[in-house]
Amino acid sequence: MFSIRTRTGRLLLTLLVAVMVIPFVVPLITMVQVSLSGIGWGNYKAVISLPSFWTYFRNSAVIAAGTIVIVYFLTMAASFGFSKLRIRSKEVYFWALMAALTMPEVVLLAPLVIMASKVHAGGAIWAVILPIAALQIPFTTLLTRSYVDGIPDELLEAARIDGASTWRQFWHVVIPLAKPMAVAICILVLINAWNSYLLPMVLLGNTEGHMVVTQLPNSFKTRYTDDQTKILAGAVLAALPEIIAYISLQRHFERGMAAGALK
Amino acid sequence: MAKSVTAAPNDLVPHSPKTRGGATRRRHHGAPPGIAWILPGFVVSVGLIYFCIGYNGFLSLLPWDWRPGRNSPMFDSEALEGLGNYAAALQKDLFWTCLKHTLIFFLVAYVVQCLMGIIFAAILHSKVYLGTLWKVIIFIPVVVAPAIMAPVHRRVFAVDGPINWILQHLGLINVDGMGNRNWTGWLSWLLNHIGLSSVTPNWIQPSTSLWVIIAVQIWGSIGMAFILFFAAMGQIEPEILEAARIDGAGNIRVLWSVIVPNLKPTIVSLAILNAITALKLFDQPYLITAGGPAHSSEFLGTYIYGELFQFHSKPQYGGAATLSIMLLVLAVGCSIIMSAGSRGQSPAKQAKKRARLAKKNLEVAA
Repeated sequence: MFSIRTRTGRLLLTLLVAVMVIPFVVPLITMVQVSLSGIGWGNYKAVISLPSFWTYFRNSAVIAAGTIVIVYFLTMAASFGFSKLRIRSKEVYFWALMAALTMPEVVLLAPLVIMASKVHAGGAIWAVILPIAALQIPFTTLLTRSYVDGIPDELLEAARIDGASTWRQFWHVVIPLAKPMAVAICILVLINAWNSYLLPMVLLGNTEGHMVVTQLPNSFKTRYTDDQTKILAGAVLAALPEIIAYISLQRHFERGMAAGALK
Repeated sequence: MAKSVTAAPNDLVPHSPKTRGGATRRRHHGAPPGIAWILPGFVVSVGLIYFCIGYNGFLSLLPWDWRPGRNSPMFDSEALEGLGNYAAALQKDLFWTCLKHTLIFFLVAYVVQCLMGIIFAAILHSKVYLGTLWKVIIFIPVVVAPAIMAPVHRRVFAVDGPINWILQHLGLINVDGMGNRNWTGWLSWLLNHIGLSSVTPNWIQPSTSLWVIIAVQIWGSIGMAFILFFAAMGQIEPEILEAARIDGAGNIRVLWSVIVPNLKPTIVSLAILNAITALKLFDQPYLITAGGPAHSSEFLGTYIYGELFQFHSKPQYGGAATLSIMLLVLAVGCSIIMSAGSRGQSPAKQAKKRARLAKKNLEVAA
């Protein structure tokens, strides 16, 4: 955007960014530095050798995977229905869905806690997956509906004339053509599910083996009474999968998150 | 069948990809019924969310400290009391404190995020070396969970943490023999004279804890603003910039008069995003400052959680539900007012525009 004509200008501008990103790096350096102080790698060994270490990741992975599958299929089907099929007073349904777009999750807290205790679902993983998915669907449907709107009706018409059922139109025309949007949705839902903290903490419970990855650093707070080195070693290990995933799928992450920002 | 035949000539007209809405939708009269397709998503999402809202509404009419007994029904209609909880909430100082924090948080985080986002995007659109590296560094905080980073930020702002270490090496902080940290002479004189004598380099304390939360939020969200502005700038026609330059505009002038006006849609959507983020904020204040000390960094999210699990020995569902409904009204009201006010359009048009914007973003973000 700035027109820079000289090599010195480019160098100076690069230097300026380098200085400006320092505040972004400070916490990252701090976490690595503190996690390696004291007994060094021993902090990591202590964290990894905890019997429940892997269950944090497993629980988060199960929640993320379950949420992605539910959101993906329900969003695709709903977008296809809203965009291409005949529904009486369609827009009323759509607006009912859109009204839930900006729902803060904490609003669901009191009802979910009571419901979970009434149906004895406390600690069940689906009791976490469902509300997280429910909070994602309005937005993913808004995005995908406008995307499916862009698929020409002629394609579906042609498939119908060739004898394809609605189901096959969906499966062989809509799903393949909506793939770019699907990738963005999956990333968006993956991040939101993996990063969720409040709902898993309250609905799964704070007990050993029932915690998710976002609870990992903090759960060490009680275990190692304020031993910062191990808490931050836990934070590094918990953050690492996300950082690696982002760096290897940069474009997809940036697109998915950017799409998700425009509620 | 007959209908699709009559529709056929219509289909022969070349279909401009830009046509949307009406023209395409009218032709769906002949389409197969679709209610079964939207129903599953509708039930899971609308069903669960609306049920929770309705149940919150019901709970808010029960006594503030109501909680279900082992055998009491979910809808305990005998305990119904009326709207007294709402009046009680409006009279609670803590409620207004939370609102004040939310407003300050929103204003500061939003302004800084926009400014820094635009500056970073403009610089990285110029010819800098190692562009991808800077982009990754700026965006990593957006990806990593706030809850995971919380203990790190507690460490960063600790009395003997990196922030104070940097300030000390800049000569702004003195450390005495006991390890106590204080501002250097002239700085404490300055702070005393502008009425900020309570601000000491012990960050997680009543006068500064809110600002720690705001700083952490800014750290974690500039990357998002940056990516959005970066994408929006990529869409500005190079000819416009060229023309401005030929007319003699310098870099700063081009940025302010040509680039920024083109970013208006992004600036507006960031306002909505930030308002909602501020209203639903929970992870950072809960984990970094626990809403304190003395409620100095309490937000509505932590307040509701506190009514359930922290402030009292037993959950107070009536109160939590009342606050939830009030939060909901604020969130929905904010997003309607902000988007309607800034664009002067019906909600239906706005949503379509937003979706289009998101799609466009998806195509150009890189």
